[in-house]
Amino acid sequence: MKLRTVFPIVMLGLFLVLPIVVREGFYLDLLLFTFMYAAMSVGWDIMGGLAGYVSLGHVGFFGLGSYVAGLLVVHFGIPVFLSAPFVGILAGIVGAGLGWISLRARGTSFVIVTLTFTYVIQLVALNLRDITGGSSGLYLPLLTLPADVVILPFYYGMLVLLVVAILVSLAIRRSKFGLGLVAIREEEGKADGSGVNTSLYKILAFAISVSFAGVAGALHAQYLNYVDPDLAFELIITLNLIIMCLVGSRGTLWGPVLGAFLVQPLSQYLIYLTPSGIAGQVHLVALGVVLVLVVMFMPDGIITTWTSRRGGRGRARPVDAPERLPEAAT
Amino acid sequence: MTALPASAAAVGPGSAADAEMAARDPSTSLAVSGIDKSFGGIQALTDCSLAVRKGSITALIGPNGSGKTTLFNCITGFYEPDRGRVYVRGVPITGRRPSDIVHLGVMRTFQVTRIFRRMTVLENMIVPVRQLTLRALFTAAIKGHERDRAEALLEFVGLQDLRHEQAGSLSFGQQKLLELGAALMAEPEIVLLDEPAGGLNPVMIEKIAGYVRELNGRGVTFLIIEHNMGFVMNLCDPVIVMHRGTVIAQGSPAAVREDPIVLDAYLGD
Repeated sequence: MKLRTVFPIVMLGLFLVLPIVVREGFYLDLLLFTFMYAAMSVGWDIMGGLAGYVSLGHVGFFGLGSYVAGLLVVHFGIPVFLSAPFVGILAGIVGAGLGWISLRARGTSFVIVTLTFTYVIQLVALNLRDITGGSSGLYLPLLTLPADVVILPFYYGMLVLLVVAILVSLAIRRSKFGLGLVAIREEEGKADGSGVNTSLYKILAFAISVSFAGVAGALHAQYLNYVDPDLAFELIITLNLIIMCLVGSRGTLWGPVLGAFLVQPLSQYLIYLTPSGIAGQVHLVALGVVLVLVVMFMPDGIITTWTSRRGGRGRARPVDAPERLPEAAT
Repeated sequence: MTALPASAAAVGPGSAADAEMAARDPSTSLAVSGIDKSFGGIQALTDCSLAVRKGSITALIGPNGSGKTTLFNCITGFYEPDRGRVYVRGVPITGRRPSDIVHLGVMRTFQVTRIFRRMTVLENMIVPVRQLTLRALFTAAIKGHERDRAEALLEFVGLQDLRHEQAGSLSFGQQKLLELGAALMAEPEIVLLDEPAGGLNPVMIEKIAGYVRELNGRGVTFLIIEHNMGFVMNLCDPVIVMHRGTVIAQGSPAAVREDPIVLDAYLGD
């Protein structure tokens, strides 16, 4: 078996048994958030990396998932771990609706619509006071588990979400659907003229892409036992996803995962190091610096830069072998 | 071209009524009937009608700006005509989206060659096949008889050794060949080529002509926009001439070449 098959399986095994050895909440919490961001980044990349359509609205679906799961447990007593998959499906359906509105056209209007969606749904959460609690937020009942293991369902839940996201992303990349998405990214008019129903492909990709954010939002709400309109719709969450995908490499399977595993611990480390008064600001500045450095010096991200260097050395390019060109053969 | 007389003289502009009649004829592959298209104040196509006989290599020529590419865009769904209809095998396709029209059997290439640059050559070939089905979401993209067909077509256009290369690294001529090969993947009823010889050297042009002729021998119908008159006169019959957004003449290459209206359109004004 190849390294790139073995390594993820070994890592998965490690993460599965890690809580037996490491009981400190700090590290499990750090990993839990890393899994969450990695899963959402993998989802974001299905739209932003494969199809090439940048979404600024993923946090809208994260917040939607938080609120729907929160309301289900508060008003109907349905546990989040039961409702989470369905919350993901609901997020996908809402995503398809938003895509139906914004994705039939080409280009940048999509970016604006997704950003607007975040604010619209935040306003809804803020103003439906009787249902959502408005700006004072929604308190979810605590899980009745001993304090030292209460983190474990969330740790494993986010890990499962990440594994599912990676498997879905892998399946899409191997399929004709994924090839059609890349065709849209590379040359949308040509894709349409080649028989790819570009609107349908984009809508479907967006629906799948945001569903992971919905599930993550649901688990996150129960993890904090609390949702409020500021927390659930923080734009920095979407920006984090984009930075993670850019750092790791957009349009690759492992890029978003690698990006999340680099950026999230870095942010948390900076928050941990700096005095509490300025913690939020310092790590935001650091994220900005990371983004600028990546765009300037490694616009393709780590994985693409690395593989293209290796590919460039190892394999003969067509320009190195003019005798093989069909023109020269005649 | 069903109503086309066998005489040496070029016949006049095609009428919408002729095209409607031709559309019902099973020997007609593509019929365009009375298409108007304007952009703001500019009338790009005016009552444009033509028919392409099944199994023919039909040329579409005319001075720059005469509306040839606009007509291609109206046929393939990239533009919606203001008026008029397009038929493939008698089925009206006007107003449908480009991808649907591909599945109804019309495939095109572009004047400015368009390929998927950051895909391999083989992946470029695989994109234009069949509608999205639920199964396509879960099965591998490149497999089975589609892979065999892609490999065979790549071999046909001489790109089989480059199939795993990035398409963006191909030379201009190779990209043209790739576009031609990919256009054939979905087994189209008719292939629309927009300047297949544009920007190519004479050896390559001869090569493309050879491929078109051979594919035509296997039953593929072609409608070709081309400015290279040597290419058109050797390969195509009939030839349709457009000027100022409408068809002004059609007939055999020899007849069109002698037609005073055609000469006037090219040399006059």
